[in-house]
Amino acid sequence: MNSPDNNARVEQQEIDASAKWPVLVFFSQALAWLVIGGALQLIASIQLHTPDFLANCEWFTYGRVTAAAQNVLVYGWGFNAGLGVALWLMARLSAATLRHGGWLIVACKAWNIAVGLGMLAILLGGTTSYELLEMPRWVTFMLLGAYALMGVWAITTFSVRNTENVFVSQWYVFGAIFWFPWLYAVAQTMLFSAPTHGVVQAIVNVWYVSGVYGLWFVPLALAAIYYFLPKITGKPLHDYYLSKLAFWWLVLATAFAGGSRLIGGPVPSWVATLGTVANFMLVVAIIIILKSFLGTLRGNTGALKHSMTLKFIFVSIIGFALASVLNFVLSVRGFAMTTQFTLIPELRDWVILYACFSTAMFGAVYFVVPRLLGVAWQSNGLIKAHYYAAATGILVVVVALGYGGWQQGHMLNATTASFGEINTALKPWLMFRSVGLMILLTGHLAFVINCLWTLFVALTETGAPAVFRNPPAIAGAAVEGSHS
Amino acid sequence: MKNGLTLFVGVFAVIGLSTVGVLLSAHNQFGALTQYKDPIEETLHPAPLRGTADRGRMVYQDLGCVSCHTQQVRREGFGGDITRLWGVRQSVARDYIREKTVFLGHSRIGPDLRNAAARPYADAEFFYKLLYAPASVAPGTNMPSYAFLFEVRPIRPGQPSPHALQLSGKYAAPAGHEVVPTPRAVALVAYLRSLNDTYEYPEAAPYVPVVKQGGGH
Repeated sequence: MNSPDNNARVEQQEIDASAKWPVLVFFSQALAWLVIGGALQLIASIQLHTPDFLANCEWFTYGRVTAAAQNVLVYGWGFNAGLGVALWLMARLSAATLRHGGWLIVACKAWNIAVGLGMLAILLGGTTSYELLEMPRWVTFMLLGAYALMGVWAITTFSVRNTENVFVSQWYVFGAIFWFPWLYAVAQTMLFSAPTHGVVQAIVNVWYVSGVYGLWFVPLALAAIYYFLPKITGKPLHDYYLSKLAFWWLVLATAFAGGSRLIGGPVPSWVATLGTVANFMLVVAIIIILKSFLGTLRGNTGALKHSMTLKFIFVSIIGFALASVLNFVLSVRGFAMTTQFTLIPELRDWVILYACFSTAMFGAVYFVVPRLLGVAWQSNGLIKAHYYAAATGILVVVVALGYGGWQQGHMLNATTASFGEINTALKPWLMFRSVGLMILLTGHLAFVINCLWTLFVALTETGAPAVFRNPPAIAGAAVEGSHS
Repeated sequence: MKNGLTLFVGVFAVIGLSTVGVLLSAHNQFGALTQYKDPIEETLHPAPLRGTADRGRMVYQDLGCVSCHTQQVRREGFGGDITRLWGVRQSVARDYIREKTVFLGHSRIGPDLRNAAARPYADAEFFYKLLYAPASVAPGTNMPSYAFLFEVRPIRPGQPSPHALQLSGKYAAPAGHEVVPTPRAVALVAYLRSLNDTYEYPEAAPYVPVVKQGGGH
């Protein structure tokens, strides 16, 4: 009775058992930050159309609260969720158990204490004012130290892998885990330890920001998409042979794409031009990747009906496409002339963080948690509520910031419009954005309730053990573009 | 890609190349820009930030003003910066070497502040009112009030503060009270009133193509 399929099953259960507590701790921290960050983001969003809201409280003045929200969402939600999924993916794909779980939990706690302190420091006025690096310097040392302890296990798991082939998701995870500390350490050095002079600081800052979005969030989202698409549809990835090319092409071009954020700025024009060229180069890689995703889905849309994970992954693919389009047009000079400094660049970053990355993580959490706990999700209704809230919220925010920002850009360049008039024109769109964020927050609450409920049932062992549908067998045992 | 080493070297090369190609080459090219010495007047530009204005820079940073205000003027013909009178010329890298932290900014929810001091209406009173009750001087604005930078206190009999704001209508202080800026507000306004890039560096002059006269070679 020892079929290879059964062996694989047992092996996966061992891996899941080793990953259980570390990954669950990462997810629980991520969820807490998702709600806190969402609330802060909503406060900041409301202040833009109702400036009196919390204006008397210095802690919650717009400049501080918006920076705190962004930092919480990136370092609190983004890193915890990303690392949780990355560690689990790495263990599964390397067919190796996750070792030193205790250290991982300690490091995760240290990271989150640092994020909390950083958030408080920003609200109290300790911001450095560099985008995504607003946390004061003493916090960043804690973050980097904790990260070293977390990232190293992903790399270790990869290096002791028991598999013949390395799957595309592993390249992306490996890259992201390696790139972040480099980006962070170099940016810290060039801004604080050995501060550079003048506008070189701005170049370091955009290089870092573009790196975090393009070399951390996007790769982790792609790793999840690449993993779950063949897993759930049961079909090998379409055009898998091109994914290696796409990987190198994408990451190399992304690494140089940051400068386009400084179009028209007081820097030598090669900085922005190099960014624009890199963004044009990116198009080819993105087309290869999207074609592979959509090709895998074609003829398998039935799977979309049955799997909530796949639904979230599908939204993530759309988010990736949208982010790519926005990134491309924002790097075109003529377009940037109007859209720069409006709500549209903000929309681009939000689409990467939320529509592309976060939805992929939601999908992954819905797949992973029942396998770790051995208990099925307690409420399908709450999952559906979360999904529809996410889809609606994304649509609302994209329309609000996209249309509002476009109008804002035209009015800014037309000298006749005063800021009072621009604000009047923007107000409905800013309100619309607040509505979108409220919808998203409702979805997150549904998500949190479902998680707590399921965890409670698992711990008290009152629920029936989860039964997983056998993943559909992939035609041909070891086809390129599939994984066990 | 079965070889982990190839992956590692490739991943390392990607980020290494980008660090050298973007950051180090930029640093190498203009990381050591110095003040420009006017050949005739023998003065150095830009002049460093001093005293109260430099403390105000820290208030600007601490309140996160950079979230809504840029400090960069784009060249004439590229956007409406010059026609909006946000500056008489485009900003250049040398303008920023006096600043410890460069507040280039990335969003214009509010106007650009690179030359805030050059606005014709921009006296200290204007900035104080703008910070205390933004709508009193900028109708329709969505700038939040920074009333916490001011002290509302009873007027001492016979000695009203000379620094009290002249407010009227619904923004006026309650009877018998006056609104006085705290040292942080004073520093912030001093900083805003120091923002003015007027010196014409050679590199800031717009490029004018040389038109050849006649056809003689």
